[in-house]
This record gives sequence, structure tokens and C-alpha cells, in this order.
Amino acid sequence: MKVRFNVNGEAVEVEARPDEMLLDVLRRELDLMSVRQTCGVGVCGTCTALVDGEPFSTCIMLAPLAEGKKITTVEGLGGNHPVQEAFVAAEAFQCGYCTPGMILTAKRLLEEDPEPTEEKISNYMGGNLCRCGCYAKIEDAVSLAASASKATAPREGGA
Amino acid sequence: MTDMRVTGAVRYSQDVEMEGMLHARLLRSPMAHARVVRVDASAVPEGVVVLLSEDVSDLGGYGPQIKDQEVLPQERVRYAGDVVAAVAAKTVEEAEEAAGLIDVEYEELPAVFDEVKATSERAPLVHETINISENDAAYFGIRPQQETNTCHLFRLRHGDLKAGFGEADVVVEETYHTAGATHVPMEPHAAVARWNGDRLEVTTGTQTPFNMRTDLAGLFGIDEEKVRIISPSMGGSFGAKTFVRTEAIAACLARKAGRPVKVVLRRDEMWMTLNRHPATVRVKIGARSDGTLVASETECWANTGAYADCGPGVAQKMGFAAPGPYRTANVRVDSRAVYTNLPPNGAFRGYGQMQSTWARERTMDLLADKLEMDPLELRMKNLLKDGDKYCTGETMHDVHFERLLQNAADAVGWSESRKNKGLCVMLKGMQTPSRAAIAVEAEDDGTYTVRCATTEMGQGAKMAMCMMAAELLDVEVEKVSCPDPDTDVVPYDTRTTSSRSTHMMGRALKVAVADLKDNGERGYGEVVDEGGLDPDTGQGVASSHWHQGAAAAEVEVDEETGRFRVVKLHAPIYAGRVINRPAAELQNEGSMIMGLGTALFESNEFAEGQITNANLSDYNVPAMDDMPIALSHELVEREGGEVQGLGETALPPVPPAIGNALYSRGIHVTELPISAESVLDAVDARDGRGDAWGKVGSEPISTDGRDDYAGESIFAFGPTREPPTPDNGSDRLSEQGLPGRVKTLLSSPFALLLLGTLGAGLLAIVVYCLLHRRGETEKKASSVPRLPRR
Repeated sequence: MKVRFNVNGEAVEVEARPDEMLLDVLRRELDLMSVRQTCGVGVCGTCTALVDGEPFSTCIMLAPLAEGKKITTVEGLGGNHPVQEAFVAAEAFQCGYCTPGMILTAKRLLEEDPEPTEEKISNYMGGNLCRCGCYAKIEDAVSLAASASKATAPREGGA
Repeated sequence: MTDMRVTGAVRYSQDVEMEGMLHARLLRSPMAHARVVRVDASAVPEGVVVLLSEDVSDLGGYGPQIKDQEVLPQERVRYAGDVVAAVAAKTVEEAEEAAGLIDVEYEELPAVFDEVKATSERAPLVHETINISENDAAYFGIRPQQETNTCHLFRLRHGDLKAGFGEADVVVEETYHTAGATHVPMEPHAAVARWNGDRLEVTTGTQTPFNMRTDLAGLFGIDEEKVRIISPSMGGSFGAKTFVRTEAIAACLARKAGRPVKVVLRRDEMWMTLNRHPATVRVKIGARSDGTLVASETECWANTGAYADCGPGVAQKMGFAAPGPYRTANVRVDSRAVYTNLPPNGAFRGYGQMQSTWARERTMDLLADKLEMDPLELRMKNLLKDGDKYCTGETMHDVHFERLLQNAADAVGWSESRKNKGLCVMLKGMQTPSRAAIAVEAEDDGTYTVRCATTEMGQGAKMAMCMMAAELLDVEVEKVSCPDPDTDVVPYDTRTTSSRSTHMMGRALKVAVADLKDNGERGYGEVVDEGGLDPDTGQGVASSHWHQGAAAAEVEVDEETGRFRVVKLHAPIYAGRVINRPAAELQNEGSMIMGLGTALFESNEFAEGQITNANLSDYNVPAMDDMPIALSHELVEREGGEVQGLGETALPPVPPAIGNALYSRGIHVTELPISAESVLDAVDARDGRGDAWGKVGSEPISTDGRDDYAGESIFAFGPTREPPTPDNGSDRLSEQGLPGRVKTLLSSPFALLLLGTLGAGLLAIVVYCLLHRRGETEKKASSVPRLPRR
């Protein structure tokens, strides 16, 4: 079947099976390889994409449900988004596999709460796992991004 | 250019695509031990490539230390998850469906899951014969005990143990168990294989490209130069991506298909591929009344599962560092790698050190208690100093244990109050002997290329290489690049394990850069660390340098529920000289966090050998909101110090520090992970509550699958963790625990009468306990002991 949605600011129409997950479609049809599978059951956050601005586990979201939605992946942030810059500044990664999901979740957190407490950060980010254990520096990165004024941009689905 | 990790631009081996590539799915045995009677693949549609045992019967075996693995088992499966057939199709879905159409008939065989029971004479043999591998990972003199399940027995003998215990005023002894855990790299195992004529090329995230090359060449009976291994960056590894995992099957499928084949494991299959050794460790320590350690005896049983992998090496390291960083005059260690019918266990961050450190450092606190000494003082009194000899006979240099331990103690305010606080100090060996080689090429545009087999798994090895090269070449770091290892291009290196790369490659790099300055085009450097231990005496050079670490923990305990949380965790380690500070900090913090998972909730659960929590919903790894309120660490450096590996030093000391913090309240736990239930049982034991049956309830019974041979579950009611007695020089354990007692009991007419009259009652109690225990286990599984949120 055909599914139409907006991805990273661009309208697309892709071929997908009705029983297929959005993650597989993003990777196969759109070459968005930053969206990655780890757990396959929606608990680890590496497959996170923003769907109409909200973080979703795309490994358990059926592709047809993306119809008409605005999807954002890290590719859509460009590379100089304040959260990305904060992750680089804080060196908040090791292998980098979970990093795109972390960045998207942090982006949404900062839209919701531009000045989150440490507790809020660790609770909000608790659904994104990092087996390398970079949590202390990820927390630093989110705080750093919060303190950068650019990070308080109004809520938007796209980049 | 921004970092590729924040733009999602990193490509891992799972992302590799090739023209005409097929996707594989593996069919795994549900039986822990069975004869394969028949495999019927006739229902698989045409066009799907099917790999059956007859397709690989021309091939040899493989295995880094013991040559005990086949691509597909020719005769029997040895664990639930052993691959019996494989398929390759145009899509993963098609392959998955095809694999489901293969019908396999099994004839179940008796299985053994517990590492101690597997050494009993009555245990079923997992392998009939044990052949040492030709791979250079089998470098250390493996001592298989033929016709037993012990594939390596390492012994350390130092001084006169009997005389030592004779001198002791106080002796403490305890037996410990640590659960199996899994690495959970975020990226699963993934490999793409293709044949170019008679040359095999495999792209796979691996820490061991050259060991992989040797094993695959041996398997196909071709020259090593005919095998090319390319290792892209890994999405985490932690020891998982070492040696051959999915690569042999991918290569065989590609050979049959005549096309490239990619294998990417499903998450649940990761638990069926490689895990951390569950282990039983018995420790006995004797001291004079002033606290001087005079004797130390350790026995380790490392459960290596159905295939040895590098289990012999793990058991050896678990053994030689088990006595700890103390000046103990009389030491004896027996450490075994034991086959069972569990999935294979191998390298895992810490490499055996966590298991024996847990046992020894918990026992040190028992000893301090008995001596009525401050646990810090007891340790300080016995710690190795510069120039002291370790029990392997080697002289220790650059020793910092006292400072590390003191810093740990200070961080939790030890001198003010010891309640709720615990300490640990440990040492860990580095791969010895080993060899590293590196080449540095000057490019025409003024940049430099570093060619080495050091692999990147997130630890920052490539950046460290570039930074060290830039410093030596006196250029900007941006001018140096370090491409992915490719065995066709890079010089030989032992492997990227045991926190050795920055240390070894860093030294080779110095030689290479000096060479480059001489000839202007290409510099080559090589370093070789000699050493090794006599596996029968444990004497020699265990480690060309020692990783040194300590930890302190502070806990809060709810004694009504057994629930506890870690409120403070501090781990100082010796770093020598730090190359890349943020990366070094990340390694240290990451090790501590993994140690926290080990202490609090990571445990592979089995039922009849089948893994029952092979997903990230039932198997928890630490999340950001599981962090202690205060997690801190230190990288202790020394002016002029040499680069030290630090990728795993801070993991092993974390669980004992937490266990000892509980013990400061008299809560004595012996098993990892530490569940709320075990804390509650320990509180009851401390307060003199609970009876024999209650104790039975706290023992692991059959629900976790690592307790007994199939069909003998009645014995699980015995003291399953009863310390086996020293074997008086025999390599073989005598029968342990209840089986032997039942035998004695049955020989007594009185007991027979007693058994007869009480039979029905006993059965009722047995059934009650089983049900009771099952309920507890279910409760444990559902109320996953995550730490409360802050």
C-alpha cells in the first residue's frame, strides 16, 4: 500500500505493507538510517522519531498510522541544532547508536520544559537506553542545550 | 564538520548493503541437549537458500580456545538456541517464514545446567573429547580434563596453604554465586559475507578481526590471506563481538547461494549467542588476630555453556586475580571453565574479574567482622605495595591500591560513619603475552593515515590513536585519520580486548612514528609483551601491567520490604596518563553503570535451559533514572605514568562495594544480582528468623534452570550452593550436596523407615515449597527491582 506523510519537511509517498512498522519503512524506503532497532518492543528508544512533534518508538508503530503525519528524524535536524551541538560539546556519546533517539527525546523535553530540573531530565530520558552508560554526560548535554537560548524554539514537528 | 554520531551518519555492519545480497534467518533448537534425528526442509519454497548439516559436513570445526564448534551440529544440539539450519532469502520476512517451514525431530538427552554439578561424575558430558584450538587465542596452556565437562583447569600454588591456615587465628569461608548476564550492545550482531572466487570477505563488527580470520580460514581449509575481515564501528560490544559469532554461517550461506548474505540477529537471539559466565566461587581466608592475611584458598567454577569460546581464558583470569591485591603468603586457586547445556558464555567487560572479586571482597568484610576490625584497616594492612611480589611470583610496579582505596573511603565519609557503607579494592590483568603492530603513512596532502587493527566500539579507540599520533607527529589531530580495520591492509594485532589497545598500540605507535620520521613515507611499529603463567602452578607473569581499581558505595535499606537503593557510588581507578579525558571518563562511568546493573538486576533466567527473559522488557539494563543520587569517579594519574587501559576496571568493584554496604547492617548476601527477596532473607537470617524450610525457599530452585540435571529436581532441595570440599589434589570433585547424602541415608534402615512414614508429609512440603518458590519467582519477575526514581 501507499503511505503519504511528511518527513523532515518533505512530503513523501512510500510503499509499505500494512503490517509493517514505520522503522522498517523509514530505513528501507527513505534511507533514514539514524532510526535504529535495538529492542523491537518499544522500550529502549533507539528507534525514536518525532511524530507530530512527539517521541514515538517506530519499531512498534505500524507504518500506515504515519499517514498524514509530520515525522522528524535526526537527519532532519541538520547537524547544528542546539541539542546536537550540546551533545557534541558535552561529549555525550560513545558508540553513537542510541544518540539520535536521545537527541530527539531531549528536543521534545526542552520544548515542553525549557528549564528542566535534573530530576525531570532523568525521568524524561529514562525511556532511552544507552548501554555505553553515558547518562551523566547526556544529562549535562540536555542541561547545556536548555541554557542555550536557541533551544527554546516553539514546538514544531519539523526541524 | 559535526560529529557523525549526532547526525546519525555512522554506518554499522547491520547497515551494510551489497548488490544481490540475501538476508538470513537461523533455526534454533528449543532443546537444551538432544540428538537431531531428522531435518526436513522440503516445505521451503524454491528460490530460498537452505543450509543443512550436509552442506557443511566438509568443513572443520572452529573455536578460539577449544575447537568445539561446528557451523551446524552434525549430530546433536547442545543448548536451547543452538542453530540447526539456516536459510537465506531476498527479504528478512521471506527468510523468517522459510525458516519456520523446516521441521526438525529431536531426541532429548539429559542436560546439565549448573557449573558445579556439571563437574560431577554423573553429569552428562557436553563434549566427548576436548581439542585445543590452533587459534592464537589459545596461547596460555589450556588444561582440558578429558572425559569431564572441565575444558580448562587453572591452578595457582604459592607457599604452603596448610601451614598458612595453621598459623591463622581466624578463618572465614563462604560460597558465592553470580548470575549470567548479557552484554546488550544496542546494535545486534550483524555480518555480511561474500565470496570473490576463492576469497572470503566478511564485513562484521568484531573486536577480533585477526582471530576471526584464523578461525574462518581453518574452517574452510584455506590460507589466512584468502580471508578478509573488515570491521566497521560497532554499536557497542562489551566483549560480545569477539571471535566467530554469525560469520561462519553467513560465509556458508554465501558459499551455497553464490551471493552475499547478511545475518542480523533478532534481539532475543543475542541471549542465545553469548553471555557472561554464571559462576560459583568458594573463598576461604585465614588471618592472624592482628589482621595479617596468612592463607587464601579459592575455587571457581565458570559456567562456559555449551561451547567454550574464550571461557578457559575467563576462568584463568577469574582465578589468577581471585586472591586480590594482598600480600598473602600462602595461596591456592583452582579455577575451572565448565561445559554445561546453557548458551555459550565468553568475554564480558571485566572478563571474570567481577565474579571472583565479588566473592573475595565480600569475604574480606566477613573476616573484618570476625576480627572486629575496620574493613578499611584490614585491607590497608595487607595491600600490595610497590616492589611486593604477587602470588604469581611477579614483582608489582606502579602500585596505587592504598591511594585508590583511601580515596574511595573518603568519598563516602568512611571515617565519620561506616553504617550503610561498603568498600572494595581489586586488580585485573591485561592480555599477556600480546603483540601489537601499527603503520603510519604520510599522504601527499600533508595528512597522515594510521593503519591498525584496533576496533572502535564506542570506547574512543580511533580518536585516541589519532590524538596520540598527532602529538607524536606534532600536527593537528584533524590531520590524522584512522580507517576501519581491514585485515588485508592493517598489520597484525592480538585483539581489541582486555583494555589493552591504547596501552599496547600507543607504544607501537611511538615506534612507528620514529620509523616514519626516518624514511618519510611509511613508519611501522611493533611491540611484544612477553609473559604468561604456568597453568599448573600459576607462577610467571600474569599481566604485563595491572589494572587497579576501588569502589565505595552507600545504600539506603527498607528492612521491612528488602528494597534498597544505592545513594552514593564512587570508583577511583589508576589511569597512569589519560589521553582523551572525556572518553576516559565515559569509559569509567559506563563501567560503573554496568556494574550497577550487575549488582541490582541483570540476570539471565532459564527454564530447562531455555532463556525466559530474552528481551529488554524482562531483562533490565540501567536507565538514566536508575542512577544513584551521587555517582562519581576518579582517574588517578601519575606524573610520567604510562598509558593504562581503563575500559572495564570500574565494573568489578561496584557490586562488592554495594554488597559490603548492606553487610555494614549485618545483611549478608552471597548472590548477584541482589534482589529485595535476598535482602529480606538476609535480614531474617541476621535477626535469627526463618527456619530450614525458609532457607530452602531462598535457594534457587528449578525455575531458574541452572540447578540440576533434568529429572532430578528433588535434589534441588539440598544445599545447592554447599561449598564443595577441597579435592586434595584430585582434579575431580567428589559428589556434592544432597545426592551423596541421600545415598548414605538410604543405606540406613532407620532412615528408610523414617522416609516411608514421612513420605506423604514430605511430599506435601516439597509441593508447597515448589509452589511457594514459583510464586516468589513470578513476583520477582514482575516487580523488576529497578531502583526507585529519585
